[in-house]
Amino acid sequence: MTGLAIITDPATFATVLRVMTPLLIAALGILISDRAGVFNLGMEGMMLTGALAGVLVSAWTGSAWLGLSAAIVAGGLIGALMAFAVNGLGANLIIAGIAVNLAASSGTTLGLFFATGDKGMSGALRSGVMPSLDLPFVRDIPGIGPLVSGHNVLTYGALLAVPLISLMMARTAFGLRIRAVGVDPKAAATVGISVKLIQLQALVLSGMLGGMAGAYLSMGYVSWFAQDMTAGRGFIAIAIEVMGMGTAWGTLAATIVIAIAETLAITMQTFGLPNELMQMIPYVVPIVILTIWTARGRARPAGR
Amino acid sequence: MIRFKARRSALRAGLVLATAGLLSVAAVAEAAAADKILLIINGALGDKSFFDSANHGIELIKAKYADKVETRVLEIGDDATKWEPALLDASEQDWNLIILGTYSISETLAEVARQYPDKKYILFDASVPYADGGYDNVYSISYKQNEGSYLGGVYNAELLKSGKLEGDIGTSLGFLGGMDIPVINDFLVGYIAGAKFVSPDIKIAVSYVGSFSDAAKGKELGLAQYRAGVGIGFTAASQAGLGQLSAAKETGKYVLGVDSDQEAIFAESDPAIASQVVSSVLKNVDVSLLQAYDKYVAGELKFGSEESLGLAEGAVGLVESGNYQQLATPELLAAIKTAKEKIASGEIKVPSAFGMSSDDLNALRNSVKP
Repeated sequence: MTGLAIITDPATFATVLRVMTPLLIAALGILISDRAGVFNLGMEGMMLTGALAGVLVSAWTGSAWLGLSAAIVAGGLIGALMAFAVNGLGANLIIAGIAVNLAASSGTTLGLFFATGDKGMSGALRSGVMPSLDLPFVRDIPGIGPLVSGHNVLTYGALLAVPLISLMMARTAFGLRIRAVGVDPKAAATVGISVKLIQLQALVLSGMLGGMAGAYLSMGYVSWFAQDMTAGRGFIAIAIEVMGMGTAWGTLAATIVIAIAETLAITMQTFGLPNELMQMIPYVVPIVILTIWTARGRARPAGR
Repeated sequence: MIRFKARRSALRAGLVLATAGLLSVAAVAEAAAADKILLIINGALGDKSFFDSANHGIELIKAKYADKVETRVLEIGDDATKWEPALLDASEQDWNLIILGTYSISETLAEVARQYPDKKYILFDASVPYADGGYDNVYSISYKQNEGSYLGGVYNAELLKSGKLEGDIGTSLGFLGGMDIPVINDFLVGYIAGAKFVSPDIKIAVSYVGSFSDAAKGKELGLAQYRAGVGIGFTAASQAGLGQLSAAKETGKYVLGVDSDQEAIFAESDPAIASQVVSSVLKNVDVSLLQAYDKYVAGELKFGSEESLGLAEGAVGLVESGNYQQLATPELLAAIKTAKEKIASGEIKVPSAFGMSSDDLNALRNSVKP
């Protein structure tokens, strides 16, 4: 297969979408928390918890959708817990995020052990998988039909979330309050907005998205939960959100760039290019882009 | 009154003495009866491979020696900063034999073992620097995983040639490593040698996940290999490698597992995955630990040295049940048998990645590049 054939191969496009999905959902979650002034560093832990909750509940109930719901609820609960720790108990936001990540790493292992007696992975459980969607009519369009149709339902969900969150932030009262609290909590409080409530809601929403991103890994990518299976995606999502400059569309663009880089790294390795170099790409790209943008920001006069 | 008191205290002293005597008799009896063995797991059980196999080794010892041994398994987690205190604690206690494994903990053991020259240690899948001296109390077991994966290479290449696998499965083999490190490349080097033994011009796509836990990325790399024409992959990447099993299910291609019978993991929960696992290359930590203990009891275990165990000792091999039974043609069985005999007799010397320069390794990888 030549280089050009790889790029035009529908399978490569599908790879980009698969790689993108968990990163995009998680980055959008971080975006909401970031705009509310409570940057969610605990995303990795929320994803991991969601991944486990989804597998366990779908195995118990036999329904993948109930599993997904459980993953979302579990992520949301951790978001609420983080908000309580930060705003209720006065814990440091960064420490709280790190605590969530550490606790989730060991906690999910413990949870898996209590539920199945295994500590490594849940391969023995018959857990559900989120279905792929064959879009009627669309799939029959020559050329783009096979590209657009047939992906996991969560992939469509992630793509749909971009305009929804963009609208929510820009056009709704809730979005306005989130932005107000994020820019200046004192000013927001003086006009009667409850800063703590908004930040709680933002972190819960953020956690729900995190849980969903985790469920995609354990119920979409593969059909089991394994120890630390998120493998740093929660942190890459943080880099993506920063690259996306705090907007939903920017986050989408940044996710696409990272996903293409990752896909190149995956595909090229099979053709014998040095794996050390290929594995570097997804980490080098955000550094390069952030450096360029920071340099451009400095060149501009103060204020955006 | 005074006399009475004296008599009472004499009585009490007598009682104490008697109790102490009884206790010490009991202690001596117990020491004679039970060998106290401690297995330290620097991670957690339930990995369905390496550590579980070590644990099974302890169960084998317990089953064979019953009352003569007292065993315990201690999981100390994967935080390397906690290993040294845990190992020091264990060495302070009255275990006769402390068993532990992995390359990662070998340095910690090297420090601790020097401080407790009277304690006996068995280290599996790694070694301590015997050349430096002072390790007369440590026995190391290393595994010739290259011999096991040599068989895997023979098996995969024969299987691809046999036409026994259904559908359009492609023309080359695959290898998915966890990381580009010697112990993983040892699998690769043996695998390539085995596959070349069957088909000298075989093509093998090689990729590395860069992680042992990222199953999603393992799946993507597996899918990419299958797209590029790989018919049967071989995964040496622990949990991350299991992702390739999921890729095999999706594409209808095949995969050779590693470390434990990976067909068995999914046999009940997802038969569609299990059916794509042609076999698994095993590292039989359990067998090697039982053998080591047998020697220890007989007083023949060579502390202060490293032993390298391979096919001949049954420490590595292929899973020969399940799908293997259905897939293996008579010619294939013959090829595996020949390979086993030739390795055991030393006629075939399986190359190893240990001590191989990175230039040679790259040249080898390029020689099979599709």
